[in-house]
Amino acid sequence: MKLSVKNHIGPRCIIKEDGQKIYDAIHGALRQGESVNLDFEGVSQFASPFFNFAIGQLLKDIAESDLRTLLHLDHLNETGKLVVERVIENAARYHGDKDYRQIVDDILESQAKESV
Amino acid sequence: MTRQVIHIPTLNDRPDDFAWLFQIWKEANDNFEDIRFDFSHCNFLRPNAVAFLGGLARLIESRSGSCEFDWPTLRRGAVLTNLCQNGFAGIFGYPSPSWHGNSIPYREDEKLDMNGIMDYLTFNWIGKGWVHVSERLRDAIAGRMWEIYSNAFEHSGSAIGVFSCGQHYWRHNTLILSVVDFGQGIPAIVRSFLSQHVEAELVSKLSGATCLKWAFESGNSTSVDGVARGLGLDLLKEFIRLNQGKLEVYSNNAYAIVDKDGDRYENRNLNFEGTAVHITLRCDERLYQFRDEDG
Repeated sequence: MKLSVKNHIGPRCIIKEDGQKIYDAIHGALRQGESVNLDFEGVSQFASPFFNFAIGQLLKDIAESDLRTLLHLDHLNETGKLVVERVIENAARYHGDKDYRQIVDDILESQAKESV
Repeated sequence: MTRQVIHIPTLNDRPDDFAWLFQIWKEANDNFEDIRFDFSHCNFLRPNAVAFLGGLARLIESRSGSCEFDWPTLRRGAVLTNLCQNGFAGIFGYPSPSWHGNSIPYREDEKLDMNGIMDYLTFNWIGKGWVHVSERLRDAIAGRMWEIYSNAFEHSGSAIGVFSCGQHYWRHNTLILSVVDFGQGIPAIVRSFLSQHVEAELVSKLSGATCLKWAFESGNSTSVDGVARGLGLDLLKEFIRLNQGKLEVYSNNAYAIVDKDGDRYENRNLNFEGTAVHITLRCDERLYQFRDEDG
C-alpha cells in the first residue's frame, strides 16, 4: 500500500486530527502484515501531535519491530525523522495503566527534599 | 454607569512586569463589568503586555463587561506607533491600519487555526528576515513553536482562546514571541488530572512549581485518550537550549525558566488563572544552522 501524505492531508503534518486520518488509512493494512509506504514528498512542517496519532498510536497493537519492518517513511526530511523517532521511543515506553500513586509519592518526596 | 479605571504602567518582560500584568488581571477580575485602561503612566509595552492586555479585554467582554483602551491618554508616541504597527490599536478602536516593521502582529485565535498560526510563525515571525535561516530550518523552528499553541488549545480550556504578539529588537538582536491563554493554568490541570487517580488531599500538597516541572518532563501528559504524548515541551526546550535562548512560563503561582543554565521551577507570590509563555531567541546566525548545512 502507498499513501501520499500531502494528497491525503496537505503539506503540514502538525495536528492530531490529521494524524488520526493517516492512522485510520494505514492501521488495517499494517495489522494484516502488509507493507505500507507513507510518502512525505511535498511535506515540510512537522509537530509531535501529528506523529503521536499517525504513528505512535500504531504501537498499541503492533510490535515496534514489526512496525519498523512494515512501515516505510519515504521522502521524510531530517526534521520529520527526528520527531518521528522521538514519538516511537515515547510510545514504546508508554503504559496506559501508570501507577499514579507512586508518581505522586515520588513527586512529594522530591518536593520535600527541595524545600529543605 | 461608572467605569473602573485601570492604569497601565510601563511594562517590560521581567518577572516584576509579569507580576504587574497579573495584578491588572486581578483588578479586572474583581471589577469586570466596565473597564477603561489608562495609559498616562505608560512609556513602553513589550509584546507580552500587548498579548496579555488584548486577551484580558476579550476576557472582560466574554463576561458581558465592556472594555475601552483610552487612546488619548497614551502620550508616548513610540508606544502608539508600535501598537498601530502590530495591529493592536486598530483592533481595539484606534483608527489606524497596521504595517510591516520590527513588530510581529498581535494575533487572536479563539479556535485552533492550524494554517493561520503556522503561517504566522513561518512567515511573520521566524521567516520575516530578522535572521537568515534556510527554509528547512525555518520550517523546523515553526514546528517546535507550534507545540505551545497545541498545549494551550488542547489542555488549557480557555474559552476565549489564545493571544500572541512578538517583536524583533535590533539593538539586542533578539526575537520575542509571547503567547497567553486564560484557561485553568498548568498546575491546576495537573492537580485535576492526578486527582482522578489519587486522593485529592494528597494531590493538593503538590506545589505549583512541582506540577509545572512534572508537565515539562518528557512523556508526561494529562491526556486520557490512551495515546502517548508529552513530547512537545521537551522538543521546544531542546531547541531553546541549542539557540541559547530563553523560555519562560508563568502559570497560576508557578514560574519555569529554561535557558543555557538548565531548567528551574519556582513558586512565586503570583496568582494567575492562565498561562503566559514568553520566548526569547537569539538572532545570531551561527546558531541557526543544521549540522549538515554549510556555514
